[in-house]
Amino acid sequence: MPFERILVAIDGSDGSKRALSTAFELAALTRASVTALAIEGPLPAYAATVGEVDEVKREKDAFFGALVASVEREAKEAGISLDVEVRPGHAAEVISQFAADGGYDLVVIGRKGHFLRDHLLGSTADRVAGHAPCPVMIVR
Amino acid sequence: VSDIAVAAVLAVTILGASMISVEIGLSVALIELVAGFVVGNAFGLDVPGWLAFIGSFAGIVLTFQAGAEVDVPQLRREWRASLSIGLVSFFAPFAVVGLLAYYGLGWNHRQAEIAGLALSTTSLAVVYAVLVETGLNRELVGKRLMSATFVTDIATVAGLTILFLSPTWWIVPFAVVSVAMILGLPRLSPAFFGRYGNRVIEPEIKLVFACLFVLMWLGSKANSQAALPAFVLGLVMSSFYASHRTEQERMRVVAFAFLTPFFFLKGGMSVSASALWADLGILALLFVAKMVPKFVGIYPLARRFTAPHAVFTTLLMSTGLTFGTITSLYGLNSGIIDQAQFSVLIGVVVLSAIVPTAIAQRFFNPHAVAYAPPPAAVPEEAVR
Repeated sequence: MPFERILVAIDGSDGSKRALSTAFELAALTRASVTALAIEGPLPAYAATVGEVDEVKREKDAFFGALVASVEREAKEAGISLDVEVRPGHAAEVISQFAADGGYDLVVIGRKGHFLRDHLLGSTADRVAGHAPCPVMIVR
Repeated sequence: VSDIAVAAVLAVTILGASMISVEIGLSVALIELVAGFVVGNAFGLDVPGWLAFIGSFAGIVLTFQAGAEVDVPQLRREWRASLSIGLVSFFAPFAVVGLLAYYGLGWNHRQAEIAGLALSTTSLAVVYAVLVETGLNRELVGKRLMSATFVTDIATVAGLTILFLSPTWWIVPFAVVSVAMILGLPRLSPAFFGRYGNRVIEPEIKLVFACLFVLMWLGSKANSQAALPAFVLGLVMSSFYASHRTEQERMRVVAFAFLTPFFFLKGGMSVSASALWADLGILALLFVAKMVPKFVGIYPLARRFTAPHAVFTTLLMSTGLTFGTITSLYGLNSGIIDQAQFSVLIGVVVLSAIVPTAIAQRFFNPHAVAYAPPPAAVPEEAVR
């Protein structure tokens, strides 16, 4: 089945970098368009000081700004047409919903992301595989 | 147990709390409160004198910072909506909780006032985090909500200073010095920061700390306390900090790295697990006594001023954390409330930080905005 629209989840982790490379390889083979989706996790819940919130927000802005720039540069070098989206929210929920809303026919995602909860509570990839409306490729 | 042993245990606890906070995305203050509760009850640690002292100072620093975080121009623009929502948000739960504590629970009037104050607060930081996350901080509803929270904060610190005033003649120098600092510090700061600022020895932070210590000392001599002047001092410095973000950041670094962890740990350590368990019914009652008047009082105003996000606004105005903790600790330290009452109040404060926020975000979140990448290029090294 030829893929026309590929969604790849990115978070800057090694697993996500491998997922992005795989998505680019698939896109080159099938001439599919690729959308890279990064999920901005929540700000510190139940914060006690505005400074705590501000600091995390700035950190996130810097991190995702650099991530977007880095992914766009890689796509340009690989000659791939790429859109990049950054959305806030719960990673598995947003990726699955984004895939459904955008009519994607493949989601590519790394096995493990950045955070401890990915290791303790089961990975985002597992949950996306359970909820996405299309095939999901989990890259080790 | 020696002081240094307690310090070592607490230092490791603070480190662990910071790491857990980063990993699970939960506020470090809340984790420090819970960690203090666990360490204090598991090891039977009493709060040593040095911790009580640092914790008291940290509470005043937090109050100063809360004042410095007020957006005064925004407050001026939105004062009409802010004033009504903010004052109702303060007075409705203050009255209901106070009356319940006095008549229903048999607390004396000073204890009832502490309960009313501690549970009338709205958490600026909780509100701010939700607004930033949803992008509403850039919209009218968010600006009104923030301004209303400032008003509630001001009412709380004013209540804390005024209600428990039993003045000696020291009230005169306390008032004079407070006014002098409030008028003088914003005028002195540009020249002082220009001459002595931007050094690792941080004279500008020492200037603020010196002012706060003087206020604490004079406040205690006057049988009052420094919350109101410290908050107003922060408020009058807010415009200066708005154009000198680096100084504000350095102040935050010092506070978060060393001072506030001890404040929240002390708060947690002072909570008795057995008292909390024994008074679960009172905890539930006080929680309802905070939430219901907040809802009944704020919702009609929110329908007028922040429609169509009235429920969202009302829920966020029902949160509380830092000032609730500051007020409860003041009551405990000054012997107004006992440990059992303190434990219940902190339990309600923590619940009020979590429950309304979670409901607002889960069921009444107006929208979550798409991320707009910052305009300036960001170095790639920032990607970990």
